[in-house]
Amino acid sequence: MNRNYLLIISLLSVGFSACNSTDPVPSQPYDNGVLVINAGNFLDNNGSISLVQRTSTTASYDIFQKENSRTLAGSLSGYAEVNEKGIILVDNSTAGKDGIEIVDARTFKSLTSIPSTEVENPRAVAKATDTKAYVTCWDVTGDFSNFYKNPGYVAVLDLTTNKLTKKIPVQNGAESILVIGNEAFVGNTGSGMTKITVIDIATDAVKQSIEIGRNPELVGLDVNNKLWLYAGGEMIRLNTQTKTVETRFKITSPNASKSPSSFTLSADKKTIYFTHSFYDAADGYLQKGETYSFPIDAAVVVADKPFINRLFSGGLGVDPQTGIIYAGLVPSFKQAGYVLRYQPNGTLIDSVKAEIAPSTFFFKK
Amino acid sequence: MIYKLLRFVSCIHILVLSAIAPHLYAQKEQSLCEVTVRGVRPERFMVGQKVQEIDSVQLTRFHYSTLADFLQFQSPVAFKSYGAGQATSIAFRGTSANHTAVLWNGVNINSPSLGQSDFSTIPVAGFDQMSVQYGSAASCVGTDAVGGSIQLRSVPDFRQKGLQTLAAFRLESSENYTGQVGLRFNHKAGKNWIISGKTSLYGSNLNNYFGTNPQRTRQGESYSFEPTRTTQKGVVQDLYWQHQKGNLFSLNLWLTDNTLTIQPHQVPLREVTRTQAYRVLGSYQIGKTLIRTGFIRDVIDYGKGENLTPSHTEIDRFILRAEHDFSWIQSCDKGTNLKIGAELVHYNARVDGYGDEVKRENRADVYALLRHQFNGKLSASLNLRQAFVTRFSPPFTPSLGVEYTAFTRPRTKISFSGNTSLSYRVPTLNERYWVNLGNPELRPERGFNKEIGVTWKQRLAEMNQFSVSLTAFHNLIDDWTYWNPERNYRVENLQQVLSKGLEFTFGLKTQWHKTQLDANLNYGLTDASQQKTYGPYTQDFIGKQLIYVPRHTFAGTLTATHGKGSLTVQQQFNSARYSTFDHSGRPFAPYYLLNAVLNYQFQKGNFRSDIALQGNNLTNTVYPNLKKNAMPLRTLSLNVIFYFQSKQTTNES
Repeated sequence: MNRNYLLIISLLSVGFSACNSTDPVPSQPYDNGVLVINAGNFLDNNGSISLVQRTSTTASYDIFQKENSRTLAGSLSGYAEVNEKGIILVDNSTAGKDGIEIVDARTFKSLTSIPSTEVENPRAVAKATDTKAYVTCWDVTGDFSNFYKNPGYVAVLDLTTNKLTKKIPVQNGAESILVIGNEAFVGNTGSGMTKITVIDIATDAVKQSIEIGRNPELVGLDVNNKLWLYAGGEMIRLNTQTKTVETRFKITSPNASKSPSSFTLSADKKTIYFTHSFYDAADGYLQKGETYSFPIDAAVVVADKPFINRLFSGGLGVDPQTGIIYAGLVPSFKQAGYVLRYQPNGTLIDSVKAEIAPSTFFFKK
Repeated sequence: MIYKLLRFVSCIHILVLSAIAPHLYAQKEQSLCEVTVRGVRPERFMVGQKVQEIDSVQLTRFHYSTLADFLQFQSPVAFKSYGAGQATSIAFRGTSANHTAVLWNGVNINSPSLGQSDFSTIPVAGFDQMSVQYGSAASCVGTDAVGGSIQLRSVPDFRQKGLQTLAAFRLESSENYTGQVGLRFNHKAGKNWIISGKTSLYGSNLNNYFGTNPQRTRQGESYSFEPTRTTQKGVVQDLYWQHQKGNLFSLNLWLTDNTLTIQPHQVPLREVTRTQAYRVLGSYQIGKTLIRTGFIRDVIDYGKGENLTPSHTEIDRFILRAEHDFSWIQSCDKGTNLKIGAELVHYNARVDGYGDEVKRENRADVYALLRHQFNGKLSASLNLRQAFVTRFSPPFTPSLGVEYTAFTRPRTKISFSGNTSLSYRVPTLNERYWVNLGNPELRPERGFNKEIGVTWKQRLAEMNQFSVSLTAFHNLIDDWTYWNPERNYRVENLQQVLSKGLEFTFGLKTQWHKTQLDANLNYGLTDASQQKTYGPYTQDFIGKQLIYVPRHTFAGTLTATHGKGSLTVQQQFNSARYSTFDHSGRPFAPYYLLNAVLNYQFQKGNFRSDIALQGNNLTNTVYPNLKKNAMPLRTLSLNVIFYFQSKQTTNES
């Protein structure tokens, strides 16, 4: 049974979380550097967070365990900081055992654990205000014929009391979330839903939903304050003021079976990086692909000249301070992965050994 | 921890040093004159290999256990458990769970889809005898026996008189409940026939409840319990008709039904895995010819939440086997046994993951097992097997073994053994037929095993004997399959593993005042590592201990019997285990488990009762399973068996 189960589980993808930064204060062990969120291997429940300094090629491993003498009991799906508190999303392989750990972001000492009874399948977290975070959740999943069987929700986390205060129902498979001004935009994965949800941060209520396309994924806000999304196989640019789609186009490629993922914006918010890959049936289903980029004002995007001639299944991140690209390399889920760092022009700088499945990055001061 | 353990072990040695465990190697040691009435068991041809016969007293005493719980204290094999009452597999000598053949009355009962057995679903109550064989034995038993094999047997007891009925229950403080009723009978039918049989019904409800608070290990790690419930039920029906001339008809039926529910109290969260097996064998032994037919259906259903629409796996096997034993016996010390046989198995697999089509395949095995005893000191075996599988070509697997007794005195015997064998594993049906991810082009995994051993048996007095044996092994397994993440988890023959190590066994039987002491201690040192790179990021794995394989394992059982009372102490130790190929991250910490059973036997007329108090995990060790949830803490249980022996006239009528 377990191998059957593993087979299916292995097809699930790893989610992404938004990256925000916080205010600087006197020196503590985790004030500076880049946090690498290692998703871990699903049934092993061994997600972890490593700290990589910007100038060092070694990492501190499993910093939560180091500071709290216990490991995070699950895969990790997201991390964000709000007012010097770190919010870690933990997804255990057993339903009913997920949770949210809240730590002092500067010492990584645990402040509280939101119990598993209050949150199920947390997927991404975003800072809403200085005292509030939003956590997207799938709720309980079904079997594989109807996996996203329940409507998703956005859990409202009050960081003055460290408690969940509300669950805002949203579309099934709720995943990516981005806070823009007084609104939070919520995308989804897998469920086939086509609309993003807009939440009013002041009232924690759904304001409206906007038709975008199948399984809309939020990419980020560009230099012109336009929201980029990927849905239904198309790149979409949304005017967040008028809530209207300004443009949509397909990324074309000489190889039609490739699909894009791991979108991230450059530090100047003028370029979008992404990976483009496929499983080559002619070569024993070997995953093949590269990393590409396009400027936000491009009228057509043809993924034929790789920006980095390499594929990263773990995800991409960009350091807002330096513009350096962090790429997560996952050789397998049974060994440590690596973080490869690239100059904004695509030149490789170095690589740092991380932990299992480095998937998202959080850039500290 | 290990020092403490070693100190403890040496105390035991001093306490009782003197004597043998006669159950060790018992079948293999029979003289040629004793074994020839019917067919010869395959273990007899495993010359030079380590075969551990499990003491029948232990099997009776732990009748309530699952094989997972029982075996870990009997043998130094590595256990992989997803939790109490959840999938538990075992691996011999650094190999994987797929490299263990589990045979019930000679027939491989591993799940064809997974190629392994879940030992948590096999109750000890389901069979009568058990032996554990270490190392490759593919030439004797066929596929999967790359690391070792487990033989479970049902045996008639024609010596028993009349009708014996049995009722048993077990109540454990962790809200685990087990019950069993059964009967054994022996009846003379007409002039020439004896009918013997056994009927047994059993059921369990295992909650493994230890509260909801996380528990801390001595190293400071914290683990919480996963809410689960396992229910088991089963029927065993054995019937034997024996003719005066020795011909024997047997019918063995074993139905098992195991339901594991994770989060049983919260319906929306629950995950239900139901595993059922229907096993029926009909055998006819006429002289030295055995004809055996069988049917096995393995069913696995897995579903989640309120509306269970389970994914379904149903695989049927139709088995036909014919064997004939030849023997040329010159004396009790000199002679030759030859077993030739053929087996045909037809598979029908209806598995959701294989697509809509029913997958069918045929497998055939032909084998010749030859054993020659040159004299009282030297014996050798040469076993040959060739398997045939639809759309697949397993390799020819021979094995060669020698045993030589170098030193014999009335009280002392020192013997040397050696065995070299090839082995193979036919990939599981999942590995070949799973849509897209399965790989019909897989090659069979192939093992090349070499082992040598020395055994010293010393008899100090009639009831005062011990045996010590040391075995060294070296097993190279090539084309080891791996679900390759670089190829979207498609299965490939990628790995080459070398497993080598030492095993030490100490058996003791002695009397101290009026107390009889029995000990069986097993230690294993295993070094199993990847030998070849198979991708750009696998350089790091070379030479590192394989995941989930402890370097040191220890399992021991000590029993003191005084009159009608007895005390059994079970111990187990596992050193650290890694869960990553490159040893990154934190390994699972070493752990030690200690159980004790205090048993007392009452007898009045035809009525007998065994009452036992059992304490499991007495040191209250907190240790995790593979999912990083806490395993059971200390429990106390009351085990009661009632036997009623009818008047002995039934047999005579």
